[in-house]
Amino acid sequence: MSTAAQRMPEIVDLQRRLEAVGYVAESSLAAALLLMVKLDRPLLVEGDAGVGKTEIAKSLAAVRGARLIRLQCYEGLDVHAAMYEWNYQRQLLAIKLLEHDERPTAVKEQDIFSERYLLKRPLLEAISCAEPPVLLIDEVDRADEAFEAYLLELLSDFQISIPELGTVRAVTKPLVVITSNGTRELSDALRRRCLYQYIDYPSFEKELAIVEIRAPQAGAQLARQVVDFVQSVRRMDLQKRPGIAETLDWTAALLRMGISAVDDAAAERILETLSALIKTRDDRAGFTREVVARIAAAC
Amino acid sequence: MLTRTATGADELGPLLRARLAGFAGFLRANGFGAGGADALGLLEASRHMGILDPQVLRLSLKALLCGRGDEWRRFDGLFDAYFLPPNKRIFADAGAGAAATRDEAGGAPGGARPQTAPATGSAVAGDLAGSARHGASREESLASADFRELNQAQHAYEMEKLMRRFAKRLKRLRLRREAAYHHGRRLDLQSTIRHSVRCGGTPIRLAWKERRRVRPRLVLLVDVSRSMSQYSFFYMRLARALCAQLQDVYCFIFHTRVTDVGAALGDPDPWRAQQRLHLLAIGWAGGTRIGECLRDFNRDHGFRLLHSRTGVIVVSDGYDTGEPALLAQSLAALRRRSRRLVWLNPLLHQPGYAPESRGMLAAMPHIDLLAPGGDLASIEYALPRILESLR
Repeated sequence: MSTAAQRMPEIVDLQRRLEAVGYVAESSLAAALLLMVKLDRPLLVEGDAGVGKTEIAKSLAAVRGARLIRLQCYEGLDVHAAMYEWNYQRQLLAIKLLEHDERPTAVKEQDIFSERYLLKRPLLEAISCAEPPVLLIDEVDRADEAFEAYLLELLSDFQISIPELGTVRAVTKPLVVITSNGTRELSDALRRRCLYQYIDYPSFEKELAIVEIRAPQAGAQLARQVVDFVQSVRRMDLQKRPGIAETLDWTAALLRMGISAVDDAAAERILETLSALIKTRDDRAGFTREVVARIAAAC
Repeated sequence: MLTRTATGADELGPLLRARLAGFAGFLRANGFGAGGADALGLLEASRHMGILDPQVLRLSLKALLCGRGDEWRRFDGLFDAYFLPPNKRIFADAGAGAAATRDEAGGAPGGARPQTAPATGSAVAGDLAGSARHGASREESLASADFRELNQAQHAYEMEKLMRRFAKRLKRLRLRREAAYHHGRRLDLQSTIRHSVRCGGTPIRLAWKERRRVRPRLVLLVDVSRSMSQYSFFYMRLARALCAQLQDVYCFIFHTRVTDVGAALGDPDPWRAQQRLHLLAIGWAGGTRIGECLRDFNRDHGFRLLHSRTGVIVVSDGYDTGEPALLAQSLAALRRRSRRLVWLNPLLHQPGYAPESRGMLAAMPHIDLLAPGGDLASIEYALPRILESLR
């Protein structure tokens, strides 16, 4: 079983490659990404907003040098917006042009419903790529159950049937990453089809590593203080706890404002940058100068 | 590495396949959404990822079989319970970050509370300083951390590790008495000469003997009344760690009545063990009637559990709402039947505490050893003393 013995280094290697494209992955995530390729299964990623779920797909695409196709789900997303649509304007135009054509009607019709007039939406696009792309289905919980059922069919067979055209089979199977924020409970069927990964708020070390990779201009000391501050904020009773994205935004804001150290003295100016970190009015009201000074002093 | 070629068909043996596939059923029994079909996926995943590295297997199966956040959090415990022998757990994330936090967690209680020798109670004299302690600083700081501070999972695991090593030492306990033993080290002269009779006095068949091993029996009686609520959880963990290592350990909890928790503690699945304890502990953190409970214990279990090699350990703070006379009487009966009676009082090492409550005063004359039980060091000190006295 030499292949088994090499697996852990493989995981470490994948972690390193993800890090090279700016994503700090835990070993469980790296293992899931490896398994996803081996078993041809989609990966379902859950976790709070801003912990880097979407970023997984982007980094995976970067590591594999593959195309990233993204489908952003929203309430009322239908099959036409997700899979395919006919280009009606061009079809009408074509009908007009074909009016004086001598060919039989059946041929004309076939011509009008050919691939030339087909608008490929993300899902169809993903299964008709020559090279396997990374398909990101973002925030699947926002779409309704009907769409989820449709998605399930696609994910099990990797084929789409278009009544006028026939069945389109996948040329290559895309790597599918599905993210969910937990606004709606997903069906068990979808969960069963997928590998699962729960992403929590990062530990101090992981967040520090992320800040150092993504915002190297911050310097070691500021990065440490920023992460310390954010971790303390996260422990507070907030409506919306800041994610990693907020940490990076805030770091950028601090740098832009020329603040080089998070401490008691800079509390006033830190307060001005907090809009990058605290995103609701109620939470913001809790951050007075004293609170900020106290947290900053502890950093 | 990220290629789609299947790795060679490492065929797994039928036993191994059954064991692996059974894991899906085990998860299902524990409330997971994983179904029978997952057993196939499980086998395929293990074939692809290999099963020799437990870490890789854990991470792969975690991704494969979990479907929700709560399952994700419970998975590691169940994985350990299924694949590892009880109480031999490892932590899931061996990444650098996790290791660092672990160090931090281990060091924290020691930093917060300087290394204090357990305060000596009245019955425990100064030889406490010479009690068994371990060399490594992290362990030491943990060993002296008050149980109330041990609220993180990591601490609890460290505690189990200490108990495990301690239990190993207990197993080696041997009597001075010797008995015939086929692979013994010492010549059993008496037997050899007896055998030599049939060969006309030539000792051809040699007989050997070895020091007899006995398993000392321990009976734990843990007070889980309200005043003990901060400690009872950790005593349960301790009892669980002990039960997993030694066969002859019996554990009871008492508050207003006495309940046998041995079967619940012995459950290999930590989650289920917790559930069962939960059910048993109705009345947990209520009032205390120590005297009555001990009397009931004597009546219902004493005759079968207590013998001349039994060490009885009562864990209680001595705050009793019952009759002190009954407590004294029951303790005396308990003491008569067993070899050694030890009272662990978690409050004893707190500065300014003296065992002057009514219950404690009534109990004092019948106790062989009163030891502080608020931290691991004092327990490590007390247990060998009990066992030594059993020889």
